[in-house]
Amino acid sequence: MKITFERRATLSRPVLFAAPLIALGLAMLTSLILFAALGKPAGQALYSLLLEPFVGWYNISEVLLKMGPLMLIAQGLAIGFRANVFNIGAEGQLIIGALFASALPVYFPEGASPLMLPAMIALGALGGATWAAIAAGLRVRFNANEILVTLMLTLIATQVLNYLLLGPWKDPNGFNFPQSVIFPDAALLPILLSGTRVNISVLAALLISALAYVMMRYRFSGYQLLVGGLAPRSARYAGFTEARAVWVSLLLGGLMAGLAGACEVAGPLGQLQRSVSTGYGYSAIIVAYLGGLNPLGIVVSAFLMAALFIGGDNAMVSADLPVAAVFVFQGLLLVFYLGSLTFIRHRVILNWAGRA
Amino acid sequence: MAPLLQLSGVSKRYGGVQANAGIDLSVDAGSIHAILGENGAGKSTLMKLIYGVERPDEGQVLWQGQAVTLSSPSDARRLGIGMVFQHFSLFETLSVVQNMALIVPGSKGELAARIRDLGAAFGLSVDPQAMVHALSVGERQRVEIIRCLLLNPALLILDEPTSVLPPQSVALLFDTLRALRAKGMAILFISHKLEEIRELCDTATILRQGRVTARLDPRQGTAHDLATLMIGRPMPPPVHPTPHGLGEERLALSNLTFANDDPFGVSLTDVSLSVRGGEILGIAGISGNGQQELAALISGEIALKSGGKAVMLMGQPVGDLGAAARRQRGLAFVPEDRLGRGAVPDMSLADNALLTAHSRGLVKNGFINRKLERAFTADCIARFDVRTSGPQAEAGSLSGGNLQKFIMGREMMLEPSVLLVAQPTWGVDIGAAADIRQRLVAMRNAGAAIVVISEEIDELFEICDRLQVLHKGRLSPSVEVAATSVAKIGTYMIGAVA
Amino acid sequence: MSLNRRSFLKSTLAASTALALPVPAFADDVLNVALIVPSPAADVGWSHTLELGTKALEAKYGDKVKVTLLENIAEGPDADRIMNKTAADGTTFLILGSFGYMEGGLKLAKSRPDMSILHASGYKTADNFSPFGARYYQGTYLMGMAAAALTKSKKLGCVGAFAIPELITSINAFTLGAQSVDPAIEVSVVWVNSWFDPASEQQAAKALISQGVDVIFSNAQDTPSVIQTAEEAGVYAFNLNSSMKTYAPTKYLGVVGTDWAPYFLQSVEAHLAGTFAGASAWLSMAEKCVFVADWNPDIPADIVAKITETEAAIESGAFSPFTGPITNQDGAEQVAAGVTLGDDMILSMDWHVKGVTTPLPK
Repeated sequence: MKITFERRATLSRPVLFAAPLIALGLAMLTSLILFAALGKPAGQALYSLLLEPFVGWYNISEVLLKMGPLMLIAQGLAIGFRANVFNIGAEGQLIIGALFASALPVYFPEGASPLMLPAMIALGALGGATWAAIAAGLRVRFNANEILVTLMLTLIATQVLNYLLLGPWKDPNGFNFPQSVIFPDAALLPILLSGTRVNISVLAALLISALAYVMMRYRFSGYQLLVGGLAPRSARYAGFTEARAVWVSLLLGGLMAGLAGACEVAGPLGQLQRSVSTGYGYSAIIVAYLGGLNPLGIVVSAFLMAALFIGGDNAMVSADLPVAAVFVFQGLLLVFYLGSLTFIRHRVILNWAGRA
Repeated sequence: MAPLLQLSGVSKRYGGVQANAGIDLSVDAGSIHAILGENGAGKSTLMKLIYGVERPDEGQVLWQGQAVTLSSPSDARRLGIGMVFQHFSLFETLSVVQNMALIVPGSKGELAARIRDLGAAFGLSVDPQAMVHALSVGERQRVEIIRCLLLNPALLILDEPTSVLPPQSVALLFDTLRALRAKGMAILFISHKLEEIRELCDTATILRQGRVTARLDPRQGTAHDLATLMIGRPMPPPVHPTPHGLGEERLALSNLTFANDDPFGVSLTDVSLSVRGGEILGIAGISGNGQQELAALISGEIALKSGGKAVMLMGQPVGDLGAAARRQRGLAFVPEDRLGRGAVPDMSLADNALLTAHSRGLVKNGFINRKLERAFTADCIARFDVRTSGPQAEAGSLSGGNLQKFIMGREMMLEPSVLLVAQPTWGVDIGAAADIRQRLVAMRNAGAAIVVISEEIDELFEICDRLQVLHKGRLSPSVEVAATSVAKIGTYMIGAVA
Repeated sequence: MSLNRRSFLKSTLAASTALALPVPAFADDVLNVALIVPSPAADVGWSHTLELGTKALEAKYGDKVKVTLLENIAEGPDADRIMNKTAADGTTFLILGSFGYMEGGLKLAKSRPDMSILHASGYKTADNFSPFGARYYQGTYLMGMAAAALTKSKKLGCVGAFAIPELITSINAFTLGAQSVDPAIEVSVVWVNSWFDPASEQQAAKALISQGVDVIFSNAQDTPSVIQTAEEAGVYAFNLNSSMKTYAPTKYLGVVGTDWAPYFLQSVEAHLAGTFAGASAWLSMAEKCVFVADWNPDIPADIVAKITETEAAIESGAFSPFTGPITNQDGAEQVAAGVTLGDDMILSMDWHVKGVTTPLPK
């Protein structure tokens, strides 16, 4: 038997919306069986995983809190991905951004200047961009693969963070624990909804998403990146240099990741810790692709991914699911989503007679 | 005896376009059958149906009198149908012999030997170990032809096979095809070179707008008659440029030497040329002799590391500048590859206009002016007779000829001081090709300096003032077209003259 | 048709309503306890001993207590959210199993005076927020005595997680215990800066062995990596919290174990009685929290006797490992003869005793 996948010429909008629903249905069905086999309350587990993140302001605020950095980083990465520049090291850029931003409150722990916070944000963006610039420079100058370089730089960033937290930046009154002083109020982002932890950085992330949309849709610079991604030889033909695309992509990606890092330390963390990121830089890659690399799509996918993460944590707390079962559910959802997308975009042709 | 291949009432529709309507066709063993038609007439669709790439909506296909369903090219190949495509189906990251081995059984050593034999027999010389990505368009087509012949098909479909061959090799190929016919092979031959069809083919089926408009013996009647049947109106007369006063020198290469890092690329040695306003310089030669490199060195896609004076544009040294800087100084360029170089296939025509026309006020303060972009594109579509649904159509959905008209139009609308055109009519139908040539001559008459790199020697003789021949990275001295002959240039092309 | 459609909708709605029903499994008379730990609760190690402690709660109270284990929770905003969530779900007794949960836990304690929170190895206290820890140093002093009897190279080693006071005191006591048997003993330390990093731990252990170390102290590592590496290399090793003898059948020196059950039971009892008061709890051998066990049979009988004697003295309070004279690494006297260090000095210890050859990271 021969199976071929043929790309469908046109897709209707309702069909495209069907993909996530089919994925959800299949993932729910599979996990119901799985959770039941584990002897866990399946209904409660699914409620916690899928619905609870959207129930009540508090839950939604937590989703927004998690969405902010995911969205911010994914927007930056998507710009590069569309230009065929693959920055896989947003995690490292986030860490360096957090480091740069933390320098101010670490050296001025009593600081009360209203300029402290804006300066931290700017430093964070600068830090992330600087870290990414190393990869850009190596790529442009020596043609070093940016995937490897950004990934390796992440490992270095982690060690720099360790060094500072175990050494010069450790809280002098913190009994040698690897973390900085608690930041003063002047170094913290204002809370958006009182009684919750969500701060104004989520608005900034939305604003930046809008800017990313404008850039990719209306700006000539965005257009040049798109051409470079879709048809590199066309870009060369038109005189759009690859070096420029590499610089723009990596600097923007690094800048946004650095910004996310600054917003984490100035937001929910309130100090510099070793666990400054729980894998935001990697999850953002998934968010970027799930959003179709489209700035508007990324807003939606970041929200849904954040909800999925929160739901997973909830299911551990409320339905007593082991953490592995949560990962399995989240994995199933992604696999089924990508699978249904493939089946919707392509026609499957079964040829029973064919032997070739 | 039943015909080898018979189609009756075959129709195919793509969305709103009736590509083929009620086609009847009968191909006998031991004959060469021409399929004639303009771009969009339905030739390519018809060939895809025969080769199993697409399935007909209606109608029947008979092979040796038996009804068959061709659901894939491998079905067709099993029956004994081979095809050489106009757009190539080679894996760029593999070598020639590796590409062959994907389809043709046998060890790579044997295959390499057979490739060399066939190449020698038909003047289709190709290095079996060369990587496909390093081959020129012409060389890739040779690989395609050889790959088909390796399978000893009963029916061979050739889609414009001669467009990349030098005159001497065309004669050799025709000898081969005639020999194959004598052995009982049927050949479906698609070409717009009407003289060739008259010379080679026994039967011709003419398509227009998806329907068969005539079946005839091409040896009866003139090329002009065939063309009229094909395009449905009298042929435009050829345009020979008339001598007139020349302007200042606009583009000059002086002793340009370029060492290519790519082991399969061509290095250029001591290349010199000079073009003045109001003339067309033709660069003749077979693909793979340095045409790609020469074009890229002029366009700026390859910039020299030093020695900018080797390339002078409008009196300024530009050899070390990139493509964008040279465009700013008045250069425009139509490359030989339309999809993926001259145009981005997945982008709309409007966005493709922006590719090089952004300097025409389409971008303001970094923002794209969509209104102007659409207006420019619509203007280009109208003025250059691009057949498409409109500025929002994807470039990849256009036929080769229409896309070429669009790119040519876009570059011409930039009103360049110097226009560089590579293979202007490759794969373009006769009506569109005549139109393109007319426009090039009109631009020359308006004072532009034009360089045309082409394999089509007739074309060069029709429109150029002077010719130079590129062979193995060296450029021959310039000769006046009026003072030379096709035969003389042909000898330069195969390197018979030092 | 429309009927079918309607009944379909109905059943879908019914299904979704059923799903939407949160199941608050707690009733008024059931105490909901949650334990949050940073690593997976494996069969050995820190998280495991905490889990064992909560099992004692279940054993005593039966249906009246429900324990939820939340494992592999990264320190930071996620942990904060999870502790808030479990509080909202009805947990009123919370055990936080890592230092990094401190700030979030304090915030929660302030907003929920009805809750009682225990926090491992921290240093901040609130009315309903108690930091707790174990006096591992009491056990490591005894281990040092055993190690001194077994070492041939007179070089002992330690693979440590973080250079925090708790771990520094363990190393110092280990060194002092060894020197009580043989004053020439030296101790080198490698910090891997992680609670859980099998690869680095293995490398660190190998590095120590290559320097001639023949007894290794796996100081607060949550994996058996160091123990296994030592067994393969034929050198003795011991660890904290729970026994890893199965990973080193011949060269296992012993364990400085912890039993959290008495403390958890006592705290829950206070919580239920409404008398829970936040206070730093630094649990000792006397409180049956710290114990030593699984001694290697290679230890000579006279040393075993000495160890047993010292153990009894420590348990009774007659002896403290940190009794002067103690000199620091620079050779200066840190504790005068006859003086015993107070808890506050031990809890903030940021110096090594003489004999520890590796300088303390600053």
